[in-house]
Order: sequence, then structure tokens, then C-alpha cells
Amino acid sequence: MSKVAIVGTGQTKFSKNDDDVEKLLFESANNCIQSVNNCDSSDIEGVLVSTNNNSKYLGAILSETMGIQPKISHSIEHLCSSGTNAIISAYAHISSGLSDIMLVSGAESATNPGQVLEWDKSRGNLEHPIYWGSMLTKAHKRKFQTTDEELAIVSAKNHKQAMDNPFAYSNEPRTISEVMNSKQITDDLRILDCSRSCSGSSSILLASEEKAKIFSDQPIWITGIGQKTTSASFTKNILDRIESTRISADFAYKMAKIEPKNIDVAEVHDAFSVCELMAISELGIVADNKSGDFVRNLFNTENRMINPRGGLIGAGHPLGATGISQTIEITNQLQGKSNKRQISNAKTGLIQNMSAAGTSSSIMVLEN
Amino acid sequence: MTFFENQLKKGIFQICYCNNCNNTIWPPKEICHTCYKKTDWKKSKNLGKIIEFSKKESKYFGLIEIEEGIRVLGDISSTSMPKIDQLVRMSVIFDSKPHYSFIVENN
Repeated sequence: MSKVAIVGTGQTKFSKNDDDVEKLLFESANNCIQSVNNCDSSDIEGVLVSTNNNSKYLGAILSETMGIQPKISHSIEHLCSSGTNAIISAYAHISSGLSDIMLVSGAESATNPGQVLEWDKSRGNLEHPIYWGSMLTKAHKRKFQTTDEELAIVSAKNHKQAMDNPFAYSNEPRTISEVMNSKQITDDLRILDCSRSCSGSSSILLASEEKAKIFSDQPIWITGIGQKTTSASFTKNILDRIESTRISADFAYKMAKIEPKNIDVAEVHDAFSVCELMAISELGIVADNKSGDFVRNLFNTENRMINPRGGLIGAGHPLGATGISQTIEITNQLQGKSNKRQISNAKTGLIQNMSAAGTSSSIMVLEN
Repeated sequence: MTFFENQLKKGIFQICYCNNCNNTIWPPKEICHTCYKKTDWKKSKNLGKIIEFSKKESKYFGLIEIEEGIRVLGDISSTSMPKIDQLVRMSVIFDSKPHYSFIVENN
């Protein structure tokens, strides 16, 4: 099996603009190719597109737009974790020897209607994510005595960190008080506890070990991968756990031969504030009942270890692009290219991306 | 429209189960996920208990467990704040999607 490296990245700014998904894909893919030394589009052997958009045949459309005639091209949809799953698929193509260089591009349009899982009859008419987000939040408060202030700190921290991310949807600071007094959505969620659907695209170029050395002076290696799906229907979840994250993290740690204490920086899937608290516990970074204290300490000490680009709450959540943008952030951190967001001397990073209330999670470990 | 949805439209919540495995299948499917045999149906007794709840505007909603481990999200009618494990009675309708509503017993 060949080692697989990330050798190029490109993004668009996340926004509420109603842009065509095809246009967004081209923009981030072009930025990605431009970021790579000596790479011509004709070098690319595979093109994978991650999206929940209803547009058809996007792998082929992006290939034609980029002037590529790839050996492999198709779309990948897995709701909110489409992006990391597309990267994992590209990894498998390269490590197996089917391809040496794969472009993975994700995009979503803010007005895309395909973001609700209609199949899940257990949600009834309460199908909007705010309902499961409220259930997880209430259960976390009940079990771990999590306070509204601790939840608000997640959002205040991520909004603050997003201010230094030029691709983020939000560049506005939000104080803890502003979060706690923002519009009430339910008894357990404020509007600033919620990530927002938006338009945006991100792309990443993966290469085999042999090609990585040609294309990059600083290849970042994917050393651990875990993916676990426990169900599709939300109501099978244990409300105060994200079991799929815990299991997939175990897989990824074993593959990378590391432990949670080795993680220098992580991007986690803060669809709602409570999800960040749950994710850092399931990843083994902190004990369940200490996640609120842990995030408070990060905020007070301006430590950007968790969600340095601002997370989904600060940066926005274009479903098909989110996992790729998370991966780009960790790549930049390990290359020392994150400017004001830089974690000093970061050597090992982790991405946690999940779907449908945590019924499926994908984890990647990256190392420089 | 599926059988399950058609029955909801008549106010009946049908529980999908596998006779062969003695398992409840939820959400309902035509085929059992364990033995792949065709599933069957039985009417729910429409009783459940509250697993978790919250409130949107003035209305409570929550996660309810009805028979044999089936959990659904639905509206909760209660004159006071609901309680975990409180018994509820279910009523259902279907327009373009299912609606599950629960009234707290002995409210």
C-alpha cells in the first residue's frame, strides 16, 4: 500500500450567495491546482465530487470544466460528512494503486433543498436539525450539568477564531453574553449555538508517496482513518453520546499508532455548540464531565487547539465542502501556514466530521 | 404512499415486525434487516414514555419511546412541564409527512 499525502488545497469564501454548485467547484478546484508546484490538470487521474446538491454528473462536469479526462470520476454523498468520505475514498484509490493523483472537490449551494433526510420517519414532522440538536443539548445538560454559559463559550470561541479565517462566512466577534441573549430557537438552543447552511466550496489534491515529492515541499500525510455508521435514523442514538465518533476515533488512532494525547490540533463537527463538547470527549481529548471546563480554558487562554478556523458555527456549513475545509485547516496548521490561527509546532492533527445527528462519523489523523 | 403512511393517514400507527426473528423493525421496512424475510404489521397500543423533551415557543416536543423500543420525535401536550419517563398517549396523522403527537397521561 502506498502512503498518501495532501499536496494541494483551494477554497472559496463561504457566503449566503446563491451560486451555482458547478461554478463553486471550479473556483476551489482551480485554486487548488494553482497551489501545487509543477502540476498540470492533465496530471490528475481521478476527480471525486462531494455534495448533497441535486445536480447530476458533477464529477464529469468538473473534469470537463478543468480540462481533465480522468480514469476515475464520480460524486459522493453522505450528508454532512460527504467531504471526509470523499477524501477517504480518494485515499483508498491511491493506496491501492488504482490512481496516483486524485482531486477531491466539495461544494454546496445555500439554497440546495437536498439537506433533509426524508427517509427517517422517526423524526415525524420535526425533521429540521434543531430538534435533534435540542435533544442532544438537553440530555447533555441533564447528565453532565452543562450550563448555558459553557455552551455559549463554544460559540463565542469559534466566532472569535473565525475572524482570522478569510474563507469564513462570519467574521463578526460574538461575546458570551451576545450568544446567551441571541434569538431563542428552543428552550435549549439559541440561534448562535447553531451552524448555518451556506454556499461554498473546497478542494484538495492527494498524491501517492512517489508523486507527492514532486508536487510538494511539505506533503502532509494521512496516517489514520476511521469511519463508523451506527444507523441512519436519529432516534436510535443514545442522546448523550456520539458512539460513531468514539468507535471511528479508535480505528483512526490504532491505524496512526497514536493516542489522543498526541493530538496538537483538531477540527471537530460543531453543528451545534453541544456537538463540540461531545466530540472532544468521544475523541478522548477530555473526560465527559470536563468538556465545558476544557473549552472555557481554551477560550480564556486564547488557545486555538479546537476548531482554529472557527468550526462550523463560525466558518459556516456548506455540507459537501465542510469536511474538506476541516482537512485543509489541519493541513495548513501542520505546514505552519495558518498565519494568526497557527498552533505552534503542530505535528499531529485530527479531523472529526459527522452526519445526521452523529449516526455516522469519519475521523482522519494527519501528520507532517 | 406506503402502507405505513396510509395507515397513519387513518390515525393508526402500525408497528413493523419480523415474525421470524421476533424483532421490531424501525423505521418500517418491507424486509427484515436480520433474516431478509418479509416483515409484518401490528397496531400500536399508542402508549409511550418521555425520553427527553424541550420547548419551542410555547409548545413542548420530545423524544418518545413507544412499544418495543420504537422512538419518535413528536409534539407533547401538557399543562405542566413534562417529566422524564412520564407516560404519554400517542395520536398520529399524515399529510406530506408523519405527525406524532403525545398527550401526557393523567395530565
